[in-house]
Amino acid sequence: MISVSNLSKKIGDVQALDGLSFHAEDGQITGLLGPNGAGKTTCLRTIFGLLKADQGIATINGIDVAIKPVEAKQQLGLFPDPFGIYERLTPREYIRYFAELSGLSRRGALDATNKVIDDLHLEDIADRRCKGFSQGQRMKTALAQAIVHKPKNIVLDEPTRGLDVMSTRVLRDMLRKLKAGGHCILFSSHVMQEVASLCDRVVVMADGKAVAIGSPQELCDQTNQTSLEEAFIALIGTDEGIAA
Amino acid sequence: MNNRFFSLLRKELVDAARDNRSVMAGLYYAFFVPILVAGMMMLIIDKVTSPEDLNITINNAAAAPDLIAFLDNQGIRHSDDKSEVKAIQIIIGATYAEQMHRGEPAEVLLIADGSEENLQSAIRETQKTLRSYSSEMASLRLIARGINPKIMNSLNIKMQDQATSESKGGQLMAMIILFMLLSIFVSGMNLAIDTSAGERERNSLALLLSHPISLRELIASKVCAVSFFGMLGLVLVLIMSKIIYPLVPWQELGFSVDISLNFMIATLIAGVFIAIFAASMQLFVSFMAKSFKEAQTYISFVLFIPMALSYAVTFDLATDELRWAPVTGQLQALIDLMKGKEIPLLQLTVSCLSTLIISVALVLGMERLLKSEKIVFGL
Repeated sequence: MISVSNLSKKIGDVQALDGLSFHAEDGQITGLLGPNGAGKTTCLRTIFGLLKADQGIATINGIDVAIKPVEAKQQLGLFPDPFGIYERLTPREYIRYFAELSGLSRRGALDATNKVIDDLHLEDIADRRCKGFSQGQRMKTALAQAIVHKPKNIVLDEPTRGLDVMSTRVLRDMLRKLKAGGHCILFSSHVMQEVASLCDRVVVMADGKAVAIGSPQELCDQTNQTSLEEAFIALIGTDEGIAA
Repeated sequence: MNNRFFSLLRKELVDAARDNRSVMAGLYYAFFVPILVAGMMMLIIDKVTSPEDLNITINNAAAAPDLIAFLDNQGIRHSDDKSEVKAIQIIIGATYAEQMHRGEPAEVLLIADGSEENLQSAIRETQKTLRSYSSEMASLRLIARGINPKIMNSLNIKMQDQATSESKGGQLMAMIILFMLLSIFVSGMNLAIDTSAGERERNSLALLLSHPISLRELIASKVCAVSFFGMLGLVLVLIMSKIIYPLVPWQELGFSVDISLNFMIATLIAGVFIAIFAASMQLFVSFMAKSFKEAQTYISFVLFIPMALSYAVTFDLATDELRWAPVTGQLQALIDLMKGKEIPLLQLTVSCLSTLIISVALVLGMERLLKSEKIVFGL
């Protein structure tokens, strides 16, 4: 479970987060929906302790990231945007490396790597160097990295950006499987379809604040709209920076 | 140190070793510098030991056959070939033979442009030869008159050169050892940029820091990896030197450059400290830089500091103070060892310690840097 309360953060002159509060439950997919510049990435970076909040706290399974960063990060898996692939390593090496960094033993990391390569059907590319990989292959590698150590909480930053239909489906299936396994999944997106089809709960963000929280249906009911897109526009009051 | 440190280190080494361009760019220096130095030395030695003949213009040579023969013996002769003639002219006076015969100073005119840089040594050489002919003739005249020519020498100057053959080539040796130590800096340089500024530019730094690792482990692994490649450069330069330098005829210069096993071991030990220092300095600077390009610029500036200090040593500036300092201390100790002097252990220890202390300070500095959001995201 990831919980954020009253988070504020100023970057330069911009108030990127302004008293943001929400929580993402275990066994649910929570979507962080907002236009470009709403503070989604800043929020995720703060959850990982990469940015220090000016105010408020972020906790992972009850552990404050700012106070016990190592313990908190141990409970997290990150699917970042951009992916941060090492081009000179093979996916097998890459995944195993991050598994070891997440605290698995050498042996344990090897087993976990083989397992995740199997789960994501990565065998055909597992021993090729990542240089020259397609966006879909990179996505799978990054996803494997995020879930290899079976973290209770998985955070994804704009996961479907630049992916084709097949890759998006692989990703969605994996997220549903993880949800069924009781994991807490939090992802940021500005793509309506994706959020509508995947999320149990949606946190609508604008200007660093959560303007509405609820299931897609609840958001529609709340705004008297029939689609999530219309609801979203009604909520944030503009259609700027939104992909349909 | 735990498993995570070794995981980090293993990845750094594998990733770096596969970066062929960086590795090659780093090691080409270590490979070619001994070849270059040896080639240069061979050319210089060739020049010094076989002085070229001096071709000048001599007018009215027929009047002084004996002088001409003497000059010819010393390699100074007349030539009509314009391409190889130096702009020096000797004119034998019209009355030369007559004056010689009468025992009067015979007139010889030496014409040359004294402000011409390139002619300086040729002019000096010609003057010296003429003077020695003159004194030889004078001695003969005294003997003819029954006087011992020694009477002309009121001083008996003897020079006792205290330089051993090793200490003579001090500056050259200093240069050779300096080039060796610099290979540590050059070999690790590209890797240092790649693993810091490059890591951030490829967006993997933020991902790394999102994992439950401590900054100290991360930095330590990077310092170790960069130092390792620095040492690889040093090993390569030592092996190349061991093979190449014996081919140079050093004895012609009056000293020898002996890359003994002792010297190699001492260089490697001192090199470890310098490698750690070089790695932490280069990493620190490249983390500070906003981009890969910027890091490349800064790092070449920073390379000037140890280089300038080391040049100060080779030219004997502030040598005593620099014995205690990082890099220059090790450099001087190694020069002493090669010259066959005793190694100043106290100074060497202090300079190695100071090298280490500065490295630790730089590592702590990096830890602070990486806690800053600005540095991690290059804001």
